[in-house]
Formats: sequence, structure tokens, C-alpha cells
Amino acid sequence: MSNGTGSRPRILAIDAGGTMTDTFIINERGEFVVGKAQTTPHDESIGFLNSARDALHYWGMSVEDAFSAMVSGIYSGTAMLNRLLERKGRKVGVIVTAGMEDYLRMERAIQTYLGYSYSDRLHIVTHRHNPPLVPRKRIFGVRERIDVFGKVAIPLYEHEVRAAVEQLLRMDVDSIVVNLIYSFKNPVHEQRVREIAEEVMAAEGRSAPVYLSSELYPLRADFPRLNATLLEAYAAEPSREQLQKVRSVTRAHGAKFDLRVMASHGGTISIDARELARTLISGPIGGVIGAKYLAERIGVQNVACTDIGGTSFDIALITDGEFQIKNVPDVARFLLNIPLVQIDSVGAGTGSFVRVNPGNRRIEIGPDSAGARVGVCYPEGGVDTVTISDCNVVLGYLNPDNFLGGEIRLDRQRAIAAVQQQIAEPLGLDVYAAAAGVVELFEDNLKNDLLGRIIGKGYGPENYTLLSYGGGGPLHVSGYSAGLNFEDVLIPTWAPGFSAFGCACGDFEYRYDRSIDLPIFPGIDDATRMHLGAVINAAWDALADQVAAEFAKSGIPREQIHFKPAIRMQYYGQLNDLEFRSPVQRIEDPGDILQLLHAFDTLYAKIYYNAARTPDFGYLATRAIMTGSVDVEKPALPHRAEAGPVPDPEAQVGTREVYWKGAWIATPIFAMDRLHAGNQIVGPAIIEAPACTLVVPPGRKVRLDQNDIFHMRPA
Amino acid sequence: MTMTSDTTAGVGIGWGKRSLRSMLEESERLFAETGRYYGIERLTLKEEDPIRYEKLFSRLRGGMVNARETALNISASPIVREIGELCFALYTPEGDSITLSTGIMVHVHTMSDAIKWMIRNNYEENPGIEDGDIFCNNDAFIGDVHNADVQDILPIFWEGELIGWAAGVTHVIDVGAPLPSGMPMGPIHRYEDGFMLSAQKVGSKNRLHRDYELRCQTAVRLPFYWMLDQQTRIAGCQMIKEAVHRVIREEGIETYKRFIREVIEDGRRSFVQRVKELTIPGTYSVPSFMDVTFGGEAGRLPPEAAKDTLMHAPLTVEIGSEGEFKVSFEGASKWGYHSFNAPPSAMQGGLWVLLTQTLVPNDKVNDGAYFAIQNNLPYGSWANPDNKFCSVSIAWVYLIPGYSGIFRALSMAYVGRGYLEEVIAGHPGTWNMTQGGGPNHYGQPGAWTNFEMSSCGTSARYVMDGEDTCAAMWNPEGDMGDVEAWEILEPLLYLGRRIRPNSFGPGKFRGGSGFESIRMVYNTPNQVLYNLGEGNVFLGTGLFGGYPAFAGYRQSIKHTDMARRIAHHLPYPISDEDPENSQMIAHVEGVLERDKRTIHLPDPHAEYDLYLSVLRGGNGLGDVLERDPTAVVRDLNEGYLLPRFAASTYGVVAFQNAEGEWELDAEATEERRAAMRRERIEQSIPVEEWIAQQRTRVEQKDFIAPVRQMYQESMSLSPTWAAHFRSFWGLDDDWSL
Repeated sequence: MSNGTGSRPRILAIDAGGTMTDTFIINERGEFVVGKAQTTPHDESIGFLNSARDALHYWGMSVEDAFSAMVSGIYSGTAMLNRLLERKGRKVGVIVTAGMEDYLRMERAIQTYLGYSYSDRLHIVTHRHNPPLVPRKRIFGVRERIDVFGKVAIPLYEHEVRAAVEQLLRMDVDSIVVNLIYSFKNPVHEQRVREIAEEVMAAEGRSAPVYLSSELYPLRADFPRLNATLLEAYAAEPSREQLQKVRSVTRAHGAKFDLRVMASHGGTISIDARELARTLISGPIGGVIGAKYLAERIGVQNVACTDIGGTSFDIALITDGEFQIKNVPDVARFLLNIPLVQIDSVGAGTGSFVRVNPGNRRIEIGPDSAGARVGVCYPEGGVDTVTISDCNVVLGYLNPDNFLGGEIRLDRQRAIAAVQQQIAEPLGLDVYAAAAGVVELFEDNLKNDLLGRIIGKGYGPENYTLLSYGGGGPLHVSGYSAGLNFEDVLIPTWAPGFSAFGCACGDFEYRYDRSIDLPIFPGIDDATRMHLGAVINAAWDALADQVAAEFAKSGIPREQIHFKPAIRMQYYGQLNDLEFRSPVQRIEDPGDILQLLHAFDTLYAKIYYNAARTPDFGYLATRAIMTGSVDVEKPALPHRAEAGPVPDPEAQVGTREVYWKGAWIATPIFAMDRLHAGNQIVGPAIIEAPACTLVVPPGRKVRLDQNDIFHMRPA
Repeated sequence: MTMTSDTTAGVGIGWGKRSLRSMLEESERLFAETGRYYGIERLTLKEEDPIRYEKLFSRLRGGMVNARETALNISASPIVREIGELCFALYTPEGDSITLSTGIMVHVHTMSDAIKWMIRNNYEENPGIEDGDIFCNNDAFIGDVHNADVQDILPIFWEGELIGWAAGVTHVIDVGAPLPSGMPMGPIHRYEDGFMLSAQKVGSKNRLHRDYELRCQTAVRLPFYWMLDQQTRIAGCQMIKEAVHRVIREEGIETYKRFIREVIEDGRRSFVQRVKELTIPGTYSVPSFMDVTFGGEAGRLPPEAAKDTLMHAPLTVEIGSEGEFKVSFEGASKWGYHSFNAPPSAMQGGLWVLLTQTLVPNDKVNDGAYFAIQNNLPYGSWANPDNKFCSVSIAWVYLIPGYSGIFRALSMAYVGRGYLEEVIAGHPGTWNMTQGGGPNHYGQPGAWTNFEMSSCGTSARYVMDGEDTCAAMWNPEGDMGDVEAWEILEPLLYLGRRIRPNSFGPGKFRGGSGFESIRMVYNTPNQVLYNLGEGNVFLGTGLFGGYPAFAGYRQSIKHTDMARRIAHHLPYPISDEDPENSQMIAHVEGVLERDKRTIHLPDPHAEYDLYLSVLRGGNGLGDVLERDPTAVVRDLNEGYLLPRFAASTYGVVAFQNAEGEWELDAEATEERRAAMRRERIEQSIPVEEWIAQQRTRVEQKDFIAPVRQMYQESMSLSPTWAAHFRSFWGLDDDWSL
């Protein structure tokens, strides 16, 4: 944070959580303030405004003055997710292919264990279906079938459509979702269903929106496509109303920017976007977007992003400047065919419970956690099982009097007693050795996970720069990076707010995907290549039109859009398709097809073993993808003057006894905000900020650079 | 077995230059003498540094998981990729598993058997075991479930010494049997089971032998998939080797050696402890049966195979006061001329998938647990054939019913101990399994197995109903797959895939519902289709008075008028729902084929023919008359229960209101239930009387042929069981079949 004297606020990022709304405001110098206020679910604009006021009071500015100066406002939040989890969405009616009316209660079986720990995935009595978003009686089947080639196998029984719509209207539905098998191949039946529905509604003097899966998510896999389309009608539309209220408030207070929302593909989109369900998960991916932006600014190609919160350890890899996209992710126990930034989440955070199994006396960490209730050391949290945070307090890593800037006081003695009784005694260890052992094991597990992801990518840690953020990242980064020989280890001083920062870094960008399933057999002639090219171009053109139409809603002309065509491809017969940016903007000649194939071959060889390449059978282009973005202002990185390696004397605010590898050492404690660029601190040392603690063990040192980022290295 | 010169010292590749065989023999001797793995008394590494011990474990286990997650992407097979039929494990030099990846838990022990077989047959001397060698196995008599599960086994060396084995297994698409598929239906000898690799050395210096590669090109139908699966397994094993080397570099070889033995003994003790913690000692009898309806295949199968037979699985689980856990099939019927025999290694597979779903659902299971269990698999029975030439192609057809008592036995023990939330009333049959082949919709010859069977209902729990459409006995992570995925492979349109009413076993808590799929042969001139499942028997019982789920049937309608119906927009079947009031039959004209021959050879179908697949539901738990009447009404309103069974099964009287919704008549229900209780009392007789009545039939050998043959086999194979049978029925000592 800073006093912001004489600065102009430029970018606003809002993170509306279930209980608190955080506002993150950055000025042109990369300085920022964070405001907090209670979320007001009935009208989120109230909580938002309070939160913005809270942030701006640090700079002594009024909302009117600040808003009128800003160029960008980005929203991310959990409102839609909560609406979904609490099943407080719209009253939707559904029309599917006859015989398929039980989609939502069968859930393809797979949704009975999504989001479970490995142990519970095995443990059969724990598997449960989710309460459906739409009850069975509001789901109607209509006879029709499109086949795998997109041909009409059974024509649409229109009288059944009429009857279904009439019944749904009698049930007073708010909207109708239509998902027919293979509609992504041939939308003719879905389109006809909408025409009929509109006729029926017109005749009855009614009106309700009709959502077609072939329009919103024209992608293979009927169940995830239904889920995604349903989500749009059920949870996204009501959320749009909330976003409109927030936008009205910003405009009423002088804002000229158009409020955007972080979307799952990693770009931000207008709140008027047709597909809003893709903004369901926005918060967690913010960090990855921020990391990508940071990487660009500081000139690194490969970044391993690690985020430790109270409940989980999230890993994402940026390779050659790009993050990976997951095609059919699961969110809130729903399988969705909405492209999502690939983040692997392990159930291990600072709040993870630590137990000694009474049967075999082996330590178990997680997968459940105390989350925001910290641990036994926080009596008000009501937790009586030891957590990782308890061990950190016992060992002196965490300052019990300066947790969250002193907002919460932690009871170290309580933590010591609990670790003694629950961990040390059963293992026959000294209480401090036990706590240290648990932290070591925790960090070792994180290290294994991290290493696994990187090796799985066909790389080694030496090819990556490690970036650590989240409330718990700086606390454990020395442990989980130890011995891995990363190119560099970065800890931004704003690590706890890095995800919010990341949201502010998002491009204004729309992305559309379409299944094409186009085989490219070996030995084809140029004429055939050009024919294939025409198919791919047509798909890209259609997607580009969609992108342009969305930007048009924000008044942005087509000329300003940077179009980035991409494709997903696999070896014919294999199942694993990979996504890559097309090396050519359009397929103009037969050689362009070869360029596409070559780009795929290269990418594949990099990720998997060379031996697994099987181009002999040809290739299958599974999806055409078009991303379009326009230039928007991104946060500036802080830039500080170098002040030399030795910190100011007042930067050290005290010493504390800290347990390092079996010994108590009087360890200097530094205040993070009193350090200057160029300062270097050799471990053992603890660097404290209100919402985060950077642990520098013996044998390691950190240096703060001009961008307010710590670099950790062997001492 | 030929005994060749043993090399106890000086020349072996094992630890301290011993031979692997002497290491294995020592391990077995020490276990026999002490009851502890390698005779280990104290877990010194764990006691002295529990943290380091745990770190070692998590590093090795992490190596297995990473190997699986990475290698998974190489395979082209939907079975590997989508269903996840892929598993990696690390073994000691003697072949005992140290840790496993996620994936199919079937293989906790199968590959162990294969490694031990190689050691016992002195592979060390010939063909030799060297760094970089690759061994491949899919022989169930050596160590596997069936030919479809193909394993690669790679030795791991450190400074010239063999320190362990890395192994991986995938379920392949085709095994080159006379009929297409990985699990062809119809083999009655192993010669028809397909390409067989009996722990064969197929590569050296980290490369597959060229002669082997060339052989694979013609040995199976889809060599492309076969080779990619092999790359998958080898790549994973190589990653395991690297992970082990990394750990040894960091921790030292001596620590590694100590660790791998301790962690197995630890696994054994953990299992024993878990048994003591959750169960009550005693003998739990949980028998079950399975019918094979090959009687209708005369002319297509030789006489010894073309008959209806019944499999007998008189499973008992015996739990001792010190946590001893004994699984016995004493009295099992004989192996047979069909594809369902299950050698001991396959039996181990079946047991582990179940134990890891209830008693030990964690990531720390290894062969220590195997050492904690005693198995009794009578030699000569279907569970341990004395004929090494019988077929094992679909061993699961016997494994699934054979072990259907495991959950029930453990559940009785859990109740005794008060762990009510752990209780589950058995598992249903994981079927109907739909398989087929013929010209596909791309004009190519095709063969396919539909894995939507992985999503059957689960059985009722002590505190709630079972889960609808959820899991398979062999994989708790069910996934029926999208219609748009299956129709890429299969030239059959889905006309419907819906919850099947009454597919669960009733009880105070009902089983989870199964579902049904109606398929129409389409875009192909012809296609052979098979059913697979039980038709005449139930897999075990429900629990505590609950009923088992229903048995299946076979139903196809051929020469239909579907083309005309479609052209005229006339209704066609989208469900079947009720065999007594079939919606399928009601909505199409054609030739109906319906019977209980649920196991049969390929059945030809033509375009527009319809095929019904009914996927099973779970068993019930508790007395039907104790079921909450409002739950019965809810089942009526949601279509889970056919209306006529509300009163007849549950004694619940409901009526439909003006909107067609069912409502409870509480008073009439109470009356009806009281009457049913009275009827029960009136109909009941003392057990001795019932036995006496039935005894006459038994004494006169009044059995249908399959039952007679089954008992005859059980009695001739096991004098113990024969004596038990005679004493139960009070028969003379010379009574026999």
C-alpha cells in the first residue's frame, strides 16, 4: 500500500466473496490500496461501493474523484457460484432428446464423486448425487435424433415440442433450455424447437428466453453441454442483473469505464456478453493471469505458479508464455464444457488438519481443513484439531500477535499443548520436533506435487521460474522449492492480493470454441488440403463473427480487435488433443496445413515421449478456437529506486526465537514495508507484512527488486 | 517346476550378490516362521524418524501417481483414457508391492504373482534379468485377471544390484481372440482367449525387441492401440525407475532397502489393526450364485459347454480376535467350459477392488495387506482351476457375484461395532454388459464394449438409500460416458437412457436405481450383439431383511417397423420400464426375442432392430414394512417405483390426485401394513418344520440339472463342504449326488 499522493487511480478490481467484498485499486505508478466491506447479496452494488470507499480513504479520495479517473473496472466474485451451490437460481424448463430426460439425476455417475479426495473416491458409501438444478417434472423429451455425422436420423416430432412448451409454460418457467444430441453437429432441430416455442408463446401472449446448446456451447459431449447451457439460464442471468447494478453504481459515481468480468478462459468480458456462465469461476484463476502478465513484463517464458491458501495448494504452469486450458473442467461438482484455465488443486493449505492415525501411527495431513478458522491457536475459531498453521505458530514462523496485521490474536500455548497431545506424544517425539516434522512433510508433499506437474510437462524445474503467492505461499516457499533448482524463485510483496491483482491484468478478450472433428489423413493432395483449409477458415470466420458481435455490444469496432486463431488437434486414433495458437492467421495455401501439423508435432513431442507420436494414421482437428482481444490498460508494476543491499536499521523490528532444523535461533524480524529495492536479507530471517509472512531459513537469502518482488536464492 | 542349480551366494543379481530365488525363499521362510514380513520385529526406521519415513513413502507414492498421470496421455484407448483402466506399482526384489498409483485397485497383487513366477522359474539364469529389460505378461495363471489386462514389468537396478521392479498394467481393447474385444465372449479354452504372453522378455536395453513388435502387428486386431498401450506402460515404468533412483540418491541405498521392507510389514500391521478396529470376530457366511445360460447354444458350442450351469460361491469371511482375516471359498463349484474361470491371481484382484472401497479406502495399501489375509481357494474349483487350459477371458463374470458377499460380511461386522455409516448391503452385478461387432458406420469392421455398465446403482446403506446410477463393483468411480462419445464407436443410436423403475432391491432403505438403454442398430447392414449378466439368480441377498436387486433378461425386437414409424412421426420406444407392461413392445411392431438367456453367444441384428440393456440397481437393507411411507410415495412420483408395488411390497396405500400426483393414505397404509404383518405371522412356520419339508426334496435329489451338477461338483471337490451340507439337511453319510 502507499499514500498515493498525487497519483491517479487507474484500475479497479473487485472480488466479491461470499462474506466480504474486496476492492483493489491501482494507480499509474503500480501502487495500490485494498478496501474491504461486507458483501450484500441482495444488491451487491451496496457492498461494492462501501468497499471502494474503504479502499480510497487510504488515499483520501472520494469515490467520484477516483471513479472518473479510472480506465478499467474488473469484477470477479463468487456470487454466481454461491447461487449455484445454494440452488437459488431461476425456474428453468428443459427440453432434451426423448429418452434422455434423466440426465440430471443420473449425472453420468461421474458427478457422484467429483471434488472428492482420493480416499473418498475409493470409499463407496460416501458417493452422492447432487440435488438437480431442475426437477425431473420440468424436463421434457421430444422425439428426434441427429446422428454422429450430423445427419437427421429421426426428424423432429414437432407436435411433441408444442406439447412440451405448453406444459412448461403452464408450470410458469422463467426460461427454456434446449439440448439435443449432436446439435453441435447440426443445430437444425434445436433451432426449430425455438421457433415452435416462440410460436406457442406468442399464441399464449407469453415470453421467456430459449437457450440453445448449439448456439451457446457448440461442443461435443451432451451432458457437460447441457450443464453449461443450463447454468447460463439458471445462475448466470440472475447474476447479470447484479452486475448491471454494480455497473450502474459506478456510472452514477462518474465512472466512464465499462465494467468487465473475469472469465474462465483467462480473459475479461463485458457483463453484456451472451455467455456469462463462463464467469462462474473467476477468482482462483486471477493469480495465473497475473503471473502471465508478470512473466511478460519481466521477460520470463516459463512460470510455475503456486498459490497456498487456507484450504488448498493450487499449481498452474505457464509454458512458453501460455497457460493451459482445460476443456471439460468440473466446477462445484458440475462437469462443464466451458474452457477453463488449468489449475491443479491439492487439498493441502495452511488450515489443513494434521492427525496421527491411531491404527498405524502414521501422520495424515488433510484433505479437510479448518479454512478461515485457522487452527487450535485461534480459540474463537472453535477448532480442536491441529492444523499446519498451529505448527507454524509453535515454531515461531508465525507471529501470534501480528496475524492478519494483528486483527486476530493467536494463542501459542494452546497450539503447543495441542501439538504435544495430538502429534508429539503418539509419535514419541519432542513437541517442536513434531511440529517441524509436520511442516517439513507438508512442504515435501507440495514439492512432490509441484515436481510431478513439471515432469509431466516434459520439463525440469530448472526450466521454470517459481512464483509463490496467496496468504501461505511466502510462508512455505522456501520449503517446497528447496532442492528443486528453479531458475528463480519470486515472491511479490503483494502475494496475498496477487489474485485480485491478476484479475486487473486480464485482457479484454472473448474466446469461442467449436467442435469440428476434421480428419487430416496422410498423403492427401493439395486440393484436399485446400478443402480442409476452407472448413477450418469457415469455422474461424464464424467464431470471429461471434467475437466481433460481442465487442460490438461495448461499442468496439472490428478493426480494433486482435484475432488469434487457435486449434485443438490430436493424432488420428489417439484421444488426447492439444491446443495451440495457429502459426497462420488463415489457411491460404496447402503449405499452411502442413504448418499447422508441424506446430502440433512439435508441441506433442515436447509434452509426451517422442515414441508416442503416431502421425502415420493422420491427424484429427477437434476444435476451432478464436480469441479476439482489444488493448486495455494493465496495472503498472511498481518501480522503486535501488537503495543498496543493506536494509535500513529501522526495517528490523525485533528478534524472535525461531526453530530451525532442531535448534532455537534468535532470528531477526523485518517489516516488509520498511524494506527498499536492492535490500538483501540472509536467513535465518522472518519478514512480516500484515497479511503475509516470508520465511527465509538459514542457507537462503532474499533480495527485493525494483518491482517489489523478492527473489529467493541459496545464501 | 524344474529345479536348476541355486545360486545362493556369489553370483546372483540380488542384494549382496544373492540370487533372487534365495531372497524370495528367505522372505517366505521368515514370514512362515514369524508371521511378520521378512521377520521384521521393530519398525526401526519409522520409530526413529517417523517424519523421514513418511516423506520416503510420499515420494515413492508420488512417483507412481505421476507415472500414471503422465503415461495416461499416451494411450489411445478409451478404456485407458476415459475409464482409467491403468495402474502402476513398485515392487521389492522378491516381487512384493511397496506402493501403488491411483487407478484400478485390482492389481495390488496380480503383478506380484507374475514377478514371483519369473523368480521361481529362475529367469535370472535364463532368459536373464538385466538393467533395461522389459517383461510382458497377460497370463492369468501366472499373475493377472484375464488376457485383456496386459502388464509390463521392468527390473530396477542400482550399482549392478537388482533393487526392485516397476510394473504397469492397462486394459487393452483387443487381444486377438477368435472374436473381437479384449474380453471375448465364447472361449472355452485358453487357446481362444487370444494373444498370450507368459511373462515373456519382450525388450532389452530399454527397447522392445523388433521380433516382438512385428509379432504384435499380426497377433491382435488393433496393433496400433496395442503398441500405444505398451508405450504407455513402459513410459510409466521408466518414470518409476527414475523416481526410485532419485530417492536413493537423496536417502541412500541402505535406507531405501530398510524402508521397502518396513513399509510392507507396516502395511500388514495396519490392515490387522484396521480389522480389529472396525469389525467383530466371527464367521460370516455370505454365499452367492451365478447362472451360465449356454444351454441354448447347442450346435454353436461343443456339448460339454452347451449347457446351463450354476456357479456356487459359498464365501465365508472369518475374522479372528487378533485381526486375522480369512477369506474362504470352501465348497466352490468346479471350473467349467466357459470364459469365466478365475485363477488365484484374478481372485486376489476381485478381493482388492472391494476391500479398498470399504475397509481400507486409502493410498497406503500395499502387499502388506495381502500378507495379512489368508485365502482358501479350493484347487479344482472355478476359483483355482486345476486345468491350466480353461478360458479366463471374462473372469469378472464369476468374480463379481463370487465376491458379492464381501460388503455384506463386513457390514454385519460394522454394525456389531457401531460403524453404521460404513454399512452397505452388497454390490449388484456390474451389467448388463453390452458388446457387439460387425461392419461399423464408417464401413470398417468394428468391435466394441460399452462401459456404461460402470454406473450401476449402489446398495442401500444403514442410514439411507443406495445411490442411483453410481459405480461398478470393479471401479467405484463410475462414468457412463456421453451418448455422443459412445455413438462414435457404435453403429447404434440411443433411443433412450433413463432411470429404470424397480431396478433396486426394496427394503427399509432401497438400493440405488439402475438404468436402461434402448439402442437401435443404425447405419450398418448388420451387427452382432451380446448381453451379459445374471438372469435366473440373485447375486447374494439384501441385508437385514432387505431384498436383492432384480435379475436381468434379454430383450430384442427384430424386423421392426421403425423406418415407417419414423417417416410418419409415430411414437417409438424410448424406455421399457416394466416387463409386464413393456413400453418397448407397446411402441413398435416386430419380432420379439425375450428370455432369460442373459449369457449367450453373438446374436445377429439388422438395421432398425432394437436392443434393450438393463443396468442393475443395488440391494435393499432392512424390512420393507419399516420404510418411511412418504419415501415410497416420493419414489412413485419420481418414477422409481411402479405403482402396483407400493402396496404389494411396502404396504403403502397411495392414490393419485387430480394433477396425477401420488398422495399417501396414511390410515389405509397403517391398516395394510398391520394386515401384512398378520399374514407374515400366519404364513410363518418354525425353521425346523421348513427344513423338514425341504429335506424330502433334497433327500430325493429333486433338483433341476444345473443345481444338481453344482452341488455334485461342490461335494466332490470338498469333503468338508459335503459334510456340512449333509449335516445341515440331516442326510446320511453316504448320501451323494
